[in-house]
Amino acid sequence: MKLAPGGAFPDLDLPDHTGRDRRLSEIAGGDPLVVLFSRGWWCPKEQRHLREMTALQDEFEVAYTRMVVVSVDAPEVQSAFRAGLGARFVFLSDAERRWLGLLGLLEETDTLHDPYRPTAFSLFPDLTIHSAYDGNWYWGRPTAEDLRRDMRAISRAVRKDFDRR
Amino acid sequence: MSDLPAGAAYLAFDGTRLYAGTGPGRRFMVDARCLQGEPVRGAFAHVCALTDGAAALAYDQPEIQQVRRDVLAWWIGLLGDALVCLTTLALDEARYGGAITVTREPVRWQDDPFARIFPGTVVRSDLFCPVTPTAGPVVERYAGVAWPGGTFAS
Repeated sequence: MKLAPGGAFPDLDLPDHTGRDRRLSEIAGGDPLVVLFSRGWWCPKEQRHLREMTALQDEFEVAYTRMVVVSVDAPEVQSAFRAGLGARFVFLSDAERRWLGLLGLLEETDTLHDPYRPTAFSLFPDLTIHSAYDGNWYWGRPTAEDLRRDMRAISRAVRKDFDRR
Repeated sequence: MSDLPAGAAYLAFDGTRLYAGTGPGRRFMVDARCLQGEPVRGAFAHVCALTDGAAALAYDQPEIQQVRRDVLAWWIGLLGDALVCLTTLALDEARYGGAITVTREPVRWQDDPFARIFPGTVVRSDLFCPVTPTAGPVVERYAGVAWPGGTFAS
């Protein structure tokens, strides 16, 4: 599956950190969306990056934009990790690795956990990919500023009254 | 308010009972999804609202913002499978009149973050249907609809 700007991102169906079944399109709910694939709670790079993303939620919560984390951690582990971060966005659990192979995002260097590669996607509300990030190297991950730019560009494209001049 | 925004519905509360649409007591606007499906019979509705018309605060007040953050951070997760649905109670496009959390069984109502704003009353009700709780992190209202309802999707 090629996940590149302009392409369609699959409508993932996975349980969230509370065990409820979710679909990505339902989470987006008509808003721009960031999907963060995370190795898991144990990775220091994930801990650092998700702390930055959690800080950014203070802007997302008032900007009609959504954020979701996907990992192979079990829902109860995600719930504890989410609470530790202070996150108020949703985590999706692919503990069964149902989407991992389909998406082609297996982190092949980690044969202990078989986790997702740290990747991120900015999506339009209809799940069309706007931007893709490969976080194999930490600096490949989206910064808050990258995501602000993405959310501004997507919002400008989908909110008819974005530029009221 | 005479015209309901899309995604909103009326609900009335007289202090002991809830009524869909307009009924006895004080009228609020709710997230319409809570009333649109197959209702859960005998559900427990924790109504954190007063019948006094003066009991209102702006949605933009910091304490009303924070209570929504707490709902996303831990209240939804704490309720688990007991949760049927929840909605804030809007009085108009700007004012908050309270909130209702509906469950299948009694829960730790003393932990309800909405009860920090207006005290809660437990009411048995056959009105409410299951609604998948909001995924967050948005705490703003969509076009005046009671949070977490509404959408900007066309």
